[in-house]
Amino acid sequence: MNWTQLVGAVVVMMGSVILQGCVAPEPRQELFAPTDAQMKIRSAQTRTFEVKEQTVAMRGVIAALQDLGFIIERANEPLGLVTAARFAEPNYYDVLGVTVTVRPQQDGKTMIRANAIYNSKPIEDPKVYQNFFAAVERSLFLVKD
Amino acid sequence: MARPAMYRCRRSNNCMVVVGLALLALTAGCSPYEWRHENQWESRDQIWLAEASQVKVRAAQSRVFDTADRLKTIQGVVATCQDLGFAVEVLDETLGIVSGKKFDDYESLPWGDPSYHLYRDDGLLILTRQFRSWGPFYHRSNLVRLTVTVRPRGNRQLIVRASAQYYLKAIESPEPYQQFFRALEQALFIQANALP
Amino acid sequence: MQRLPAAVLLLMGLLVLPQGCVQQTQPAELFQLTPESSANRAMQTRFFDTENDQELLSASAAALQDLGFQVEESVREVGLLRAAKERSAREYGQYRNRFFIWLLSLGHVVIPIDLHQKIAASLVTRPLNEAHSRQEVRIVFYRAVWKGDGQADRNYIPPGEQKMEMIRDPEIYQQFFAKLSKAVFLEPHSI
Repeated sequence: MNWTQLVGAVVVMMGSVILQGCVAPEPRQELFAPTDAQMKIRSAQTRTFEVKEQTVAMRGVIAALQDLGFIIERANEPLGLVTAARFAEPNYYDVLGVTVTVRPQQDGKTMIRANAIYNSKPIEDPKVYQNFFAAVERSLFLVKD
Repeated sequence: MARPAMYRCRRSNNCMVVVGLALLALTAGCSPYEWRHENQWESRDQIWLAEASQVKVRAAQSRVFDTADRLKTIQGVVATCQDLGFAVEVLDETLGIVSGKKFDDYESLPWGDPSYHLYRDDGLLILTRQFRSWGPFYHRSNLVRLTVTVRPRGNRQLIVRASAQYYLKAIESPEPYQQFFRALEQALFIQANALP
Repeated sequence: MQRLPAAVLLLMGLLVLPQGCVQQTQPAELFQLTPESSANRAMQTRFFDTENDQELLSASAAALQDLGFQVEESVREVGLLRAAKERSAREYGQYRNRFFIWLLSLGHVVIPIDLHQKIAASLVTRPLNEAHSRQEVRIVFYRAVWKGDGQADRNYIPPGEQKMEMIRDPEIYQQFFAKLSKAVFLEPHSI
């Protein structure tokens, strides 16, 4: 192979690599389909409390999150949404975000669902959600008194 | 032939200090963008505020209006903010808070800047876990923020306080606030009085 | 490529090492109270004997305004208020460090320095009893700092690296609650 051919081959190879790199990746067909792990964890993420009003439940969730050292980012009362995040102190490189929704049920109860994300990956360990709901229960119990 | 000064420098301590300082100056911020940031000994001192300057600033930032109509006053404030080109983001009539921001456009590049739009300056930082945000960084510092609170003073008066931030510093001179309240007076047709 | 002096490599290693040595906290632990939780709570919380939570929120906004903050978000129904202020984070001491690293690396490495900081606060008020006669105000201050650009041998270090910290000094909390209690004409109670 002479010099010109070599250069030509390299240019073609580089060109194809570059072109491929420039194309945006196609979304997977199942991008919005729930995974098995998520289905399993959904029951651990949800709990019902004996609270009649949505606002009371939301305030309880917010107080619990503050106790755990979270920073409250968003709260939307009509939709019952609370978003908060915290660092994995003392390590400030890992971030834990949590989205909580509060929905009133028919029978005077409220359903609370929490989604925790650790460094952009959803948390699938049920123990995490148990600890969270323990904190929520503590803070709701305090208010009742 | 006399020895060049350079050779003498190697032996003299004072000279080394001067050369060192010169090099320090060289490596210290070669960009005007960096110079624009106020230099200080301890950046954490910005967290709390010195009490001394606060009283003076408070007088410049506040006006008393002889009206109890909070809603109309807040509407006037919002109209004034819009006239000044602010995007009003927080508006609460019951709490009496109006807050907006805009980007100071006085130094924009003539040919535009495509990376300007790559910034998400509004999102809470820790949820957008990007340790290296992109783009020419000066767009964060050309942010202008304005917050106006409207609070009752007794039964028949309201105190309007406007506080603004420009280029990473709180605005403490009275002139911008005088202009703001002049515009607000015109919007409300009510005279603004200084804090007693 | 030029030979990077051993000193620079050692320095880089020292800079990187602390990061690697910090323990990775497991998510489950992050939802549990720690020994510092109650101290933080005491520092960040005060009680006020009033029914008027909206007046408390409005006065909190005024107190934050007095401290130089700009209100970013307010959700009255759940008592949430978020505020921030942007300031310069440039420090004299950083130039000294930058110079020494530049010197040690024989002109190869210019480290980025802090330029811009955003100090933010997130405040929540809530009633503590059925009659709503006692309100709790809890605020947390935190800070994010961005660095400028730098150079490492032939590589350009782009600007914008950010680091964040929770503010645990009591001064700012005391300052804030002092202003808040003056604004509402009420005495704050601590935990």
